[in-house]
Amino acid sequence: MRLPPGVSSKDFADALKQFEDAVGKEWVFTSDEDVALYRDAYSPFMGEPDEILASASVAPDGVEQVQKVVRIANDYKIPIYTISTGKNLGYGGSAPVLSGSVVLDLKRMNRILEVNEKSAYALVEPGVSYFDLYRYIQEKGLKLWVDVPDPGWGSPVGNSLDRGGGYLMAQYRNHFDSHCGMEVVLASGEILRTGMGAMPGAKTWQEYKTGFGPWVDGIFSQSNFGVVTKMGFWLMPEPDAYLSGTIYVPRHDDLIPLVEIMTNLENTRVTNGMPDLGSPLLSIPMISEIDKWNRGEGPPPPDAELSALLAKSEGGGSPELEAYALKKGISYWSCRLSFYGAERANAANWEFAKEKFSAIPGVKFEENESYKLPLTPEQHEKVHKPQFGIPSLAMFSIGARSPVNPQPTSGHMWFSPIIPRTGEAIFEANRVFAAAAKEFGLPVLSFSLPSCYWERAFIFIFAFPVTRDVETNKKNRAAFKQVVQRAAEHGWGEYRTAPAFQDTIMGTYSYNNHALLRFHETLKDAVDPNGILSAGRYGIWPKHIRDQKA
Amino acid sequence: MASRREFLQVGFAALTLPISARAAFSPAASPLTGAATPLYKVVFDERFPASVEFGEQAKKLGASVHRIKGDITSLWYHDLYHRWNQSPVAIAGLTAHGPIFCLERIAWDHRMRVVFRTDHKRLPDGSIEHTLSGPESVLRRAADLRADGPNWGGRMADLVTHFPQIRSTNGKATIVAHLAPTGDDAEPLISWIIAPVRSV
Repeated sequence: MRLPPGVSSKDFADALKQFEDAVGKEWVFTSDEDVALYRDAYSPFMGEPDEILASASVAPDGVEQVQKVVRIANDYKIPIYTISTGKNLGYGGSAPVLSGSVVLDLKRMNRILEVNEKSAYALVEPGVSYFDLYRYIQEKGLKLWVDVPDPGWGSPVGNSLDRGGGYLMAQYRNHFDSHCGMEVVLASGEILRTGMGAMPGAKTWQEYKTGFGPWVDGIFSQSNFGVVTKMGFWLMPEPDAYLSGTIYVPRHDDLIPLVEIMTNLENTRVTNGMPDLGSPLLSIPMISEIDKWNRGEGPPPPDAELSALLAKSEGGGSPELEAYALKKGISYWSCRLSFYGAERANAANWEFAKEKFSAIPGVKFEENESYKLPLTPEQHEKVHKPQFGIPSLAMFSIGARSPVNPQPTSGHMWFSPIIPRTGEAIFEANRVFAAAAKEFGLPVLSFSLPSCYWERAFIFIFAFPVTRDVETNKKNRAAFKQVVQRAAEHGWGEYRTAPAFQDTIMGTYSYNNHALLRFHETLKDAVDPNGILSAGRYGIWPKHIRDQKA
Repeated sequence: MASRREFLQVGFAALTLPISARAAFSPAASPLTGAATPLYKVVFDERFPASVEFGEQAKKLGASVHRIKGDITSLWYHDLYHRWNQSPVAIAGLTAHGPIFCLERIAWDHRMRVVFRTDHKRLPDGSIEHTLSGPESVLRRAADLRADGPNWGGRMADLVTHFPQIRSTNGKATIVAHLAPTGDDAEPLISWIIAPVRSV
């Protein structure tokens, strides 16, 4: 059995015994076979001695048991690493940041404590998955939608604490922003409630976020200052209807006004779903079209002339490419807008949007989907489910091998920089990342479009492959870190990353001699002096390990 | 590196764990020594001829089969979720990587593991390589795969539907069957059984 760092065999055995007393013998896992389930399925250290592995896991079924586990960990200085459902694939999965940590697995805490239809909120435990919450709402016939990530087998608590995103209205698809109130077990074992929950008997814990005084919820996301054991979420009341429409523009530089108008329409709430960019010319599907393209219902592959032009063009553009697009009548860019609301209001908003986009010469419009909600069973089968608050695992149905991927990888690490919400920034980021890929020996990066999971800024999400070849993985890890630095030189920071890169990325948030990280460390030392909680998570290390690393 | 949306057009694959060494019914719990593991469902994917053949043969052998088209969401959400919440029961399948990747991880939470796995990979010369992991008694029975030619899907159905409850030591075997080149870029497929773990 692997030992936590700095813990003797005897102390670890004693601690495990006490964990068993706290949660029940059957809920403490120490066999290699059981502990292996917490490996990161996409570990970039696969097959290397440096793969981050847990030593054991403990699965409490309630907050009192969490308190006991935390107190035992404190007594023996055992590092514990909290997961909810552990489906954080591409960002580390269930594996800890510090090898030898004991995984505090909260999957058994899967109670839906309250769903209030009138006030449109839910209060859930960390082991509740998006599927669980969706099922509960469906079975009770509540007129509520849950904003789900894709795939949807993770948990609202885990995903929001990692600051994941979804597909519905902006105030819901930013999953951390959509939370309202937390319960947290601190490293001391004490329970804290945030927002209105700090008031005994509060009537609005899930309705008013900030309570009184400093609003501390943010410090429990992407961090290791406590164990979140309950969280409230605002849910989206089921709208009357849904409408989507696509705007097509013909020229390369049309992306700039296209993004500007799109963003303005979102900021003014004319459109209230996630805007969705694509390129018919460059064969970049809009996210809402990926399922359709994967079913073989996308556009035909580029002909020989277009293929040759694409091979010659850099940064997704050339005068010849644009001339080809104009000659063939193929739009350069597309943008799908979604409207959730009253049927007549959706139609009016779409008309208003079309008026605004008409400022771009040659623009064309297409109305795509118009549904009176709820969806019929037939509609349910054909829609892109996350855009209707329906969790899905369909993305795993995509073939592991294809003509464009003859040698499938064994996973991926997401590189996810945030860039400004402008067309110019898209062009610049593509130039920078394509050059970086070339410089750092990565596969050629074709032109990419960012996503609009969050308001106000774009996010690019690139997959660095994880392979079964150790040397390739080493090279890709090194390249990942170089690309992170290159992004930072241009003012673009990542929103989230796998444990292998959390120190690197936190290092790029270095304003004023890393004042932010130093503040995190000050907090860490104050609230978790033994450094038992999720050591190293998002670059925050407890003092004793920090000193060793220095 | 590829963008996320390119990646979603390309597909997922990932680490697979070794098959479980103790994912067997204990003799005390399973008095039917020599009997086959009862399979609650046998899953096949209509996109792949070998998988369809697997499903048809499993049905002939009396199994309850479930057709998918790559996505296991509906199978799990409407069926396995309810069944596995009552008690863990074994399932088998012949699918691409994605379905077994998802089902395996969901099954872990119900104290089940993959107890048998065969990776079927088309080689450049057209032949097919079957890489098996499972009880040695099953591996011995799998030797016929060499002679089964293109009809290996049916053979795999025979193997999984006769998978023993009491199992011998796990082993590995690789069998290459020479087939006529098809010229297609066949998807690597996986035959698998997920079963409850033995009590410890």
